[in-house]
Amino acid sequence: MPEAPGVEYREIPGRGCLNLRGDADDPTLRDATATTLGTELPTEPCSWQSSGDTRACWLGPDEWLLIVPDGEQSRVEQQLREAVSGPLSVVDVSGGFVHANLGGDNAAKVLQKSSPYDFHPRNFPPGRCVQTVFAQAGALVVAIEDGSFVLIFRRSYADYLVHWIADAAEEYGYPMHRT
Amino acid sequence: MLHIRCPYCQEMRSEEEFSNAGEAHIRRPPDPAALSDAEWGDYLHFRKNPRGPHREVWVHTAGCRRYFNVLRDTVSYEILDVYPAGVPDPDAPEETTP
Repeated sequence: MPEAPGVEYREIPGRGCLNLRGDADDPTLRDATATTLGTELPTEPCSWQSSGDTRACWLGPDEWLLIVPDGEQSRVEQQLREAVSGPLSVVDVSGGFVHANLGGDNAAKVLQKSSPYDFHPRNFPPGRCVQTVFAQAGALVVAIEDGSFVLIFRRSYADYLVHWIADAAEEYGYPMHRT
Repeated sequence: MLHIRCPYCQEMRSEEEFSNAGEAHIRRPPDPAALSDAEWGDYLHFRKNPRGPHREVWVHTAGCRRYFNVLRDTVSYEILDVYPAGVPDPDAPEETTP
């Protein structure tokens, strides 16, 4: 039996995402997100909240990325537009982003090698999410419940970014599962 | 490589994630039409470029994409202070509002 790979990269199909901007202190925004997504908007910097298949990631003090199952985007957008009375922007950006999972025992080491951010589990435990750079390409990295990482990055940077990560992962063995 | 604390992400981040956006606390003249060409040229093009502490604007380009102010020593590159955009210039003399 071959040894289990130290790093596994797998694209995650069937995810939609929306960029949400609004006033974090607006109670109608907080209520609408709780009703529509079943989860609160994270207000702590670089953190996320989730419920089932839906996740809300902090991007800035008035900006979040809502990750939903593909097909839910227009329902979420419509419900937020109807319920929020304060300033609001909801944009379906699903077509622009690739979602991928980086798992395995050495996934954190690969991230540490390939980015200037401190991805040590002490600094980046599950529950955190961070926008940083991999060489010249930006990405959102989400530390999820099971200890692996979800990477969300622009479709047009996918080839560049995946090669960068593959290069960092080479020493650990890296079966790439592209769908 | 500098380490800069982003006041919005509330973390030390690497300089790679940031871009410098020039001198901070530059105020647009309230009535541009009343200025001479020389005064308008000063506002548009002339900056302090000091040797020592300098208040400047940075943007967390690869992170939260927010602008904020940094007090940085241009000789040692030490970052002395970081504060959000919109905070009045701490060095400015008390202003009398017209």
